[in-house]
Amino acid sequence: MEFDTQLLHDIDQLLLGLMILVIMFGMGASLTVDDFRTVARKPRGVLIGFLSQFGLMPLVAWSLSVFLQLPPEFAIALILIGCLPGGSTSNMFSYFARSSVALSIAMTTASTLLALLLMPLLLEFYASTFTREISDAMRAAGSDTNFVIPTGNIVGSLLLVLIPAGAGMVLRVRSRAWAKTAEDTAGFVAIIVILYLIGTAFFRHGSLFLETPWQVYAASICVGLMGFLFGYWFSRLFRLEPIFQRAISLETGIQNGPVAFAIILLSFSEPVQSQMLWIAILYSTFIVMTSSGVTLWYRRIGERDWEIYQNTAIHNRLFGESYISHYPQEFLPQRVAHDPSQGSTPAQNRKSESR
Amino acid sequence: MDNRIVAPTLAQLYFQAAERYGELPAFATSKGPLNWHPVSFRELYEQGLDLATGLIRLGVQPGDHIGLFSDNRVEWILADYGIQLSGAVNVPRGSDVTEEELVYIINHSGIKVAFVEDPEFLDRVMLQKERLPNLESVILMDGGESHFTGVEQLGNVRKAGADHRSDGDESAVRRMAETDPKDLFTLIYTSGTTGTPKGVMLTHSNMMSQMEMIPIDLSCTDRVLSILPVWHIFERVFEVYTISCGACTYYSGVRTLAEDLLQVEPTFMGSAPRLWESLHQRILDGVRQAHPVRRFLFRTGYGLAHYYKASLFFMRGNDLRLEPVSRWVRAIMYLMHMLRWVLLLPWYGFFNAAVLEPVRQRTGGALKATVSGGGALPSEIDQFFNDLGIPVLEGYGMTETSPVIAVRTPEKLVVGTVGPLMPKTDIRIVDLESGAILFPSDKSGGGRGKKGEIEVRGPQVMKGYYRQPELTKKTIRDGWLRTGDLGMMTYNDCLKILGRRKATVVLSSGENLEPEPIEMCLKQSPFLENCMIVGQDQKHIGLLALPSLEGFQKAGMSVETLEELIQNPETKKRIRQEVRSRISRQRGFKRHELIRDIRLIPEPFTVGDEMTGLFKLKRHRIEEKYASLIREMYEREG
Repeated sequence: MEFDTQLLHDIDQLLLGLMILVIMFGMGASLTVDDFRTVARKPRGVLIGFLSQFGLMPLVAWSLSVFLQLPPEFAIALILIGCLPGGSTSNMFSYFARSSVALSIAMTTASTLLALLLMPLLLEFYASTFTREISDAMRAAGSDTNFVIPTGNIVGSLLLVLIPAGAGMVLRVRSRAWAKTAEDTAGFVAIIVILYLIGTAFFRHGSLFLETPWQVYAASICVGLMGFLFGYWFSRLFRLEPIFQRAISLETGIQNGPVAFAIILLSFSEPVQSQMLWIAILYSTFIVMTSSGVTLWYRRIGERDWEIYQNTAIHNRLFGESYISHYPQEFLPQRVAHDPSQGSTPAQNRKSESR
Repeated sequence: MDNRIVAPTLAQLYFQAAERYGELPAFATSKGPLNWHPVSFRELYEQGLDLATGLIRLGVQPGDHIGLFSDNRVEWILADYGIQLSGAVNVPRGSDVTEEELVYIINHSGIKVAFVEDPEFLDRVMLQKERLPNLESVILMDGGESHFTGVEQLGNVRKAGADHRSDGDESAVRRMAETDPKDLFTLIYTSGTTGTPKGVMLTHSNMMSQMEMIPIDLSCTDRVLSILPVWHIFERVFEVYTISCGACTYYSGVRTLAEDLLQVEPTFMGSAPRLWESLHQRILDGVRQAHPVRRFLFRTGYGLAHYYKASLFFMRGNDLRLEPVSRWVRAIMYLMHMLRWVLLLPWYGFFNAAVLEPVRQRTGGALKATVSGGGALPSEIDQFFNDLGIPVLEGYGMTETSPVIAVRTPEKLVVGTVGPLMPKTDIRIVDLESGAILFPSDKSGGGRGKKGEIEVRGPQVMKGYYRQPELTKKTIRDGWLRTGDLGMMTYNDCLKILGRRKATVVLSSGENLEPEPIEMCLKQSPFLENCMIVGQDQKHIGLLALPSLEGFQKAGMSVETLEELIQNPETKKRIRQEVRSRISRQRGFKRHELIRDIRLIPEPFTVGDEMTGLFKLKRHRIEEKYASLIREMYEREG
């Protein structure tokens, strides 16, 4: 399929730019310097999360592209999404999924910084076959230039979006209340803009929804879902506690959508830009739905171990760090009692964690 | 998972809890911020056995009445363990008791041994010693200094018991086996309609029926915050239930409540309307002071939640249904609500996460449910918290029914009602005039939507009033207890409370008072022709006063008509003085009986309209007639 006109007009692009600014500012406002320290203090969870996020997720995106035989422009966009760092949305979902918000925030922080280095490398690695396809097509059409991934521009756009995030962090230091407002406003703006984009796509390019091949829909839905699935089992393999499994799962599947928009707008040009934007829009829309569903599911299956975790953490908070909660053996659910990640004294060596 | 313990007697429940929950914390008290001290089920039981042995050595016989005069503290529970394990019955009361009541309770129930909280309370008891011929020994609970003779320290009684136990004294264990479920476990004195306290006799099986029937599941990982006075049966049932489920009770107080909610992150609590009123106020104040963006977000979020929840409640069949509605109409409404629900869902999802969750955090963020009892919850506050997503379950009961008769459950949460009846509990609605049974009936609708007095029958109904067989007979007829409350069954089988038949005023704090003695006392003033106490479900009581034209004229005021008298600013000032001097702490009135606000009424009560032929006030009629005056009185505090 081809786009006869630009998917987004200049005015939409401006709006999108503003949204990215507001959202990244809001994301920064939700972070503190302490979160960086948490990363340093809990390297194991963050490391496993990091492997899941930058090791598994791009691989998932690449495999989906190959398996569903996506057109190269879409494939590159999907891989780009696979290589993104996490955003602040995942922190909120983590909270409601009864998982470790601290780990989620730590992973967001770490991945955003590491993305500067890793994103160009991963993109180069996974997307090279698809860039070659585009170049071949372009040459066949009579062009004499090669299509290359604009690595420099990508790093540039990443740096650019980190500026409002940094400003948000400064705000957080100045005023907690304003930072909270910035965070909420960002979430609100994100919903409005996504709906606006879907709306304009619908009204201006109504046939687009029908023309889009099913593989593209499948890919943009599945990339998130498979991220959740692999993130969950990967961290389970490493015997992390359930609350960390859920956090890593959500953090792996939920990527920082606004960063994708920024990179696509700033680093790519037509004819590929519109197609890439379309994937980003679809991903951003579906990920809200799938992660809501997964969050509700996690909330249910995690209820018991979360209650044990939380109660124990509060015991330690109120009665002292050395207090041990002796739950009756038959009370602990099979999954918690026999989960090797729990250690020999289930739930008792867990320490209080600030939420 | 339902893992509550139900045993024949309290003592056996305490024993089984120690066996099952062992070293888990049962109770915790605060020694300062983030410094709480836990007591485990095992420790409490062992200490209770020591204390029981000590009590038996003091001469306590099975079935003896033991005074327990103390506010909430962990020693209260220890004392209760000791009393239950020695086979005795406790007679609890808090420090708000008046001297007269204290003397009446001790003498009427025949208390020989009493636990007293602290030296201050001890002084109050000892000052009355001459009027308490049967009181033999007093046990001081808090370990404070006492200069009276015949006063034992709780620690010493326990230690003596422990020594005997290590010498092989197993009398407490034997007592446990001897106690029968039909025996009393407590005798609670409530101030009744007659003004003198009534001793409500509750048996072990009364208590255990509640343990069995409470429709809320707790487990070892639950945290229950305690703020209501434990000597009230409402709080006490929840504390015993907490033990039964292996959860931990954390003692809080009014002053530290806001902070304790955040520290403990309770999952459950018994609460009174007063608490929700003040929290509601604090949240609204917070919103008012917030900057415009946040205010906008909160208002939008709350508005969305309101409509979203209304549709959700409807779809679950949990809307307030006072009138019969045909199936077809309901089906159409169902579709409309479903449509609205779907449309609101994504927006609600976002605002719930971003705006409402932080508000819920004020109660710690972990509350699964809270039961509000002890008085009616104002409907807008009820609505507010349930819209916010803090499930406030209003319940209905009385000391005489130990106490729960009906309570909303998380599944059947119908705002505006007190929920479905407890299992194994029957009620009937009786017509006030004719005495005919309106509900249940064979007519269409089964008698739902009919208003009358509630009568209740079930395993929670008390044995009777202690040493008052006449009163007992009047209150319980053929197993049906007359509650004195007016109510109706809704069309989705929830009970709605519509007021009280009796004159008793219940404040929003849960405190009861009888208006008649206060009014009697006031009417002795020459300046007052008549008056009525109001304040049902309010924070404090107010007075509707009819000034006496004659009285004021005699006192030298030159007025001709009642209207003139009421216009005169002197009148109100004078009456206020009069009220203040007659109804005071010095005169033996309790703090919640003091009158805060007065409104003058412009015309005399007439027989037939506001008064019965016997000159008794028709309270409902007067409240109706002067509704705007009463509203004005309470509006200002907002």
